[in-house]
Amino acid sequence: MLKATLRSFLAHKGRLLLSALAIVLSVAFVAGSLIFSDTVSRTFDRLFASTSADVTVEPKQDLTSAVPTGATQTLPAALAATVAKVDGVAATHIDAATNQVTVVDARNDPVGPTTGAPTIVTNWYVTDRSPVRLTSGHAPHGADQALLDADTADRRHLGIGDVMSVQAQPGTFRVRIVGIATFSTTNPGSALVFLDTPTAQRRLLGSTSRATSISVDAAKGVDDAVLKRRVVAALGGTGYDVKTAGEQAKSAAAQLGTFLDVIKYVMLGFAGIATLVGIFLIVNTFSMLIAQRTRELGLLRALGADRRQVRRSVLTEAVLLGLVGSTLGLAAGIGLAVGLIGLMSAFGMNLSTAEMVIGWGTPVAAYAVGVGVTFVAAYLPARRAAAVSPMAALADAEVAGVGRPLTVRAIVGGLVGAVGAAALAGCAAADRTATSASLLGLGVVLTLVATVIAGPLLVRPVIRVLGGAFPAVFGSVGRMSQRNALRNPRRTGATASALMVGLALVTGMSVASASMSRSFDEQIDKTLGADFVVQNGNFLPFSSEVTGTVRATDGVGLVVRQRFAAVAVRLPDGRRVETTAAGYDDRLDDVAHIKYEAGNTTSALAPGSLAMDAGFAADHGVRIGTVLPVEFQGGRKTSLRVGALTNQDTADGFGTQGGLYFGIATVEKYVPSGQDSALYVNASPGTGADTLRARLDRTLRPYPQVQVRDQADYKQLVHDQIAVLLYLVYALLGLAIVIAVLGVVNTLALSVVERTREIGLLRAIGLGRRQLRRMIRLESVVIAVFGAVLGLALGLVWGVCTQQVLALRGLKALAIPWSTVVAVVIGSAVVGVVAALLPALRASRMNVLAAIAHE
Amino acid sequence: MSTSAAEHAQDTGVAARARGLTKAYGTGETTVLALDAVDVDIARGRFTAVMGPSGSGKSTLMHCLAGLDTVSAGQVWLGGTEITGLRDRELTRLRRDRIGFMFQSFNLIPTLNALENITLPMDIAGHRPDEKWLDQVIDTLGLRDRLKHRPAQLSGGQQQRVACARALASRPELIFADEPTGNLDSRAGLEVLGFLREAVDGLGQTVVMVTHDPGAAAHSDLVLFLADGRIVDAMERPTADAVLERMKRFDGIRSTLGGQPDATEHGDTAASHAAERGVAEGD
Repeated sequence: MLKATLRSFLAHKGRLLLSALAIVLSVAFVAGSLIFSDTVSRTFDRLFASTSADVTVEPKQDLTSAVPTGATQTLPAALAATVAKVDGVAATHIDAATNQVTVVDARNDPVGPTTGAPTIVTNWYVTDRSPVRLTSGHAPHGADQALLDADTADRRHLGIGDVMSVQAQPGTFRVRIVGIATFSTTNPGSALVFLDTPTAQRRLLGSTSRATSISVDAAKGVDDAVLKRRVVAALGGTGYDVKTAGEQAKSAAAQLGTFLDVIKYVMLGFAGIATLVGIFLIVNTFSMLIAQRTRELGLLRALGADRRQVRRSVLTEAVLLGLVGSTLGLAAGIGLAVGLIGLMSAFGMNLSTAEMVIGWGTPVAAYAVGVGVTFVAAYLPARRAAAVSPMAALADAEVAGVGRPLTVRAIVGGLVGAVGAAALAGCAAADRTATSASLLGLGVVLTLVATVIAGPLLVRPVIRVLGGAFPAVFGSVGRMSQRNALRNPRRTGATASALMVGLALVTGMSVASASMSRSFDEQIDKTLGADFVVQNGNFLPFSSEVTGTVRATDGVGLVVRQRFAAVAVRLPDGRRVETTAAGYDDRLDDVAHIKYEAGNTTSALAPGSLAMDAGFAADHGVRIGTVLPVEFQGGRKTSLRVGALTNQDTADGFGTQGGLYFGIATVEKYVPSGQDSALYVNASPGTGADTLRARLDRTLRPYPQVQVRDQADYKQLVHDQIAVLLYLVYALLGLAIVIAVLGVVNTLALSVVERTREIGLLRAIGLGRRQLRRMIRLESVVIAVFGAVLGLALGLVWGVCTQQVLALRGLKALAIPWSTVVAVVIGSAVVGVVAALLPALRASRMNVLAAIAHE
Repeated sequence: MSTSAAEHAQDTGVAARARGLTKAYGTGETTVLALDAVDVDIARGRFTAVMGPSGSGKSTLMHCLAGLDTVSAGQVWLGGTEITGLRDRELTRLRRDRIGFMFQSFNLIPTLNALENITLPMDIAGHRPDEKWLDQVIDTLGLRDRLKHRPAQLSGGQQQRVACARALASRPELIFADEPTGNLDSRAGLEVLGFLREAVDGLGQTVVMVTHDPGAAAHSDLVLFLADGRIVDAMERPTADAVLERMKRFDGIRSTLGGQPDATEHGDTAASHAAERGVAEGD
């Protein structure tokens, strides 16, 4: 039996080619993402492990903010002396480092990386853990000297003697490059500027008595953990975070990890799509192979093979296919990882492919995915094969008839679909975000499953309509292609499903993002009253000099600052909510339109007061006049009285839960190291907007990181941000379509083989080669468009429901991107034409006589 | 000899003609001649049967006359058109417009109903069928109440009648029928033969039928006997017994020669088995 299986596998290897390709793609993405993330985390674990001090003392990380606040936490530098006295300490070093800076060169071009990796300015001292060593020039001494890392110097064409400006929170200062430091470890992609220690303290932190952390070297033979306990005891226990080298490396890796996780999850998303779509392809291949081999299987049964043996034979074939596909996929995955590592290097992250890590988990996952998917996909066809009766060997039945009735599919699909639809309806009706979102997820999955199951039932009605014009337009060629598509609804359904999955996802995402864009537009229209917003390109806060420069610009009438602060609020219902609050200058009403349910801007921004979203207040038992204990980053505490309740539709989903804000004086008082995040600017009476804009652009030239935007620019900015999400979705779609095309090619190619005699007959009675190609092309197009229509319908429903969830977060507008919808339909027709190329060519090249005589 | 008689016939009396028609398979030492310099004229308005043992080249002859297969040497004309040397597109058009086909099985497109199958060659060509002629053909074949049926809903005999109607529908110069009764029971087979006879007598068509069945050949006006790629004999106004007697002489030759390689009759093994069976039944 095994011999027969192997023979059959080898005999059909051509027909299994595309299935194997689908497996290779999914396995490649799984393996590639695992190898990449293993390599990166190994590299960085090693980097952090080798560069972390034995013990580090840091300010307590009490509150964190999802929105950058610009604040740098510090501790007294004098702690270094205290720690130095601890038994077992060999040496202590003061660290004065911050990434809340902008560094520009003499032409005001930014020096830092453009990739979003930080620019870090820190103090220079050498230990055996330093990630860099001085390779030319000398160490910095005094207020105007600095070192720059070699990679950044190369990239920006800077060298010894060049001048840079450092815009830090206390103020901007100029430094001259006196030396170049080269990474002796992996460069994580950031730009490094080194100053001498007193300069770094004074210029970055505002005082030589402050430090951002204290690094401690342990004496020989003293364990890190032991030393940590002694340091904690010497510092009086609380107030500081004390970490061993291991803990420090772990937390540094965790910070980097979130960025790398994104890449990993994106890759796994690709793998998921590839796998999902690939399953349809494999199911179809095996179903068709078994349909074609009905007589052969019947003969096996007649010769005495039992059902289990037949089933096992088909599954063995599937496992063989999975093994071959996984092996090739693993190889392709290594290639993909090499490519990704190369891509990272292009972004300044110098990873070495020589240090590529292939953990034992990678091949395990690769074979599990490859073999598992093939096995699962082949299971149902294998059962069907086992059900072939021995009589099939004798019957002269035509292969691949219409098949069994679709009653079971109708019932199961209907039930699952009904539950899915109910979940989606519930999602639209729910008024809590969490409930609504989970109902949405459930509804999406169930409706997808239902559509896949019931797809074959939709083939007849939908293709009757879609191909309805074919006979009239293309004559009998059109009629035959339409009927061929209708011939085996299961096959057409499964082929179209592969395309449907990708298109449904994209359509849903497009509707959601178009709705988001429109909602933001409406909000900007409704709330933004300022002529201009001055903001950092990446939303990071900027130094107060920018604010000063804007204020001093001729023609500026009003400047309202926005400054964020991480806070924790104790609410009357006992909940402690950590969120980010905003501080504003007094004349907020002149630059923004805020609807109040109680109070007004004056009562909101008054000293000792705060404003809160009315809905959030109601949920937590807060009323106007309630006094709330508020805690700021750095441990400062106060009580603020609720002076106003707002009734804004604004989104509170971006780390600003509760919509808290107060006078900017409150932020300045409790978070003295904070920086402004945005400036709302109005022109003075008599100054035109264009004039002011030109002037602002000129005066802000030394600050290349900040941009002046009017309402239209601001909307564009928001659209661009959302577009990034869309690009990712389009990339996913691209992959899904590639595999779906493979699926259509596969189905058509196998159908052509199956219909060899029919094609021979048609050619004999006078069907031309071009007509034959057109017939196959039209069938392909109608299948593809069918998939697109299902995908669009499903995606539109998902999109509308997603918008309902977003509406609970204040994004109330619904927008349907009709241009995308039209493009998808046209695109799917093109997909159909492309997919038909090879099968049609093959069919038209068939020898007529051989085709007629084909068994 | 009827072939020489046909040679004397006027050009208008010849539907198809071959001169020196040679078809070889394989090269060098292994060359097998399926057709060996065959000269043949198919008379217009007659029912010609081609018979011969398996491997005699009868199907190959038909394929070459019908423009389905290429020739190794020689010339073939359909009416006044020389078809040897035509390119695929021209041959396709020729088959579509000027030749009708009936095969042993799998004659119909399963997705099309009977009427659509009948008019298929004209639909492909984009010609409108001659309604009067079409009605006459449909009524002659008794298909009037079956027109909306799909092939799967028709019996084997009905399917062959539809195929026959398709072959007739475009009023071709020549109809080729390749073992049209091979897959039918004797009653349905007789019916189909009757219709082919009627097509010649009543509708004035020209039919060439390849068959192994002496009973079927007896319905024709003229039987051509093929052996080893040559036309070895012809019989006017044949009877089943006379044809059977003539065929038995081939069997004798065959056994003394030790049989022909099967490969000469290109993919037609099922038919040759059937042929032997048919001859045995004729006993």
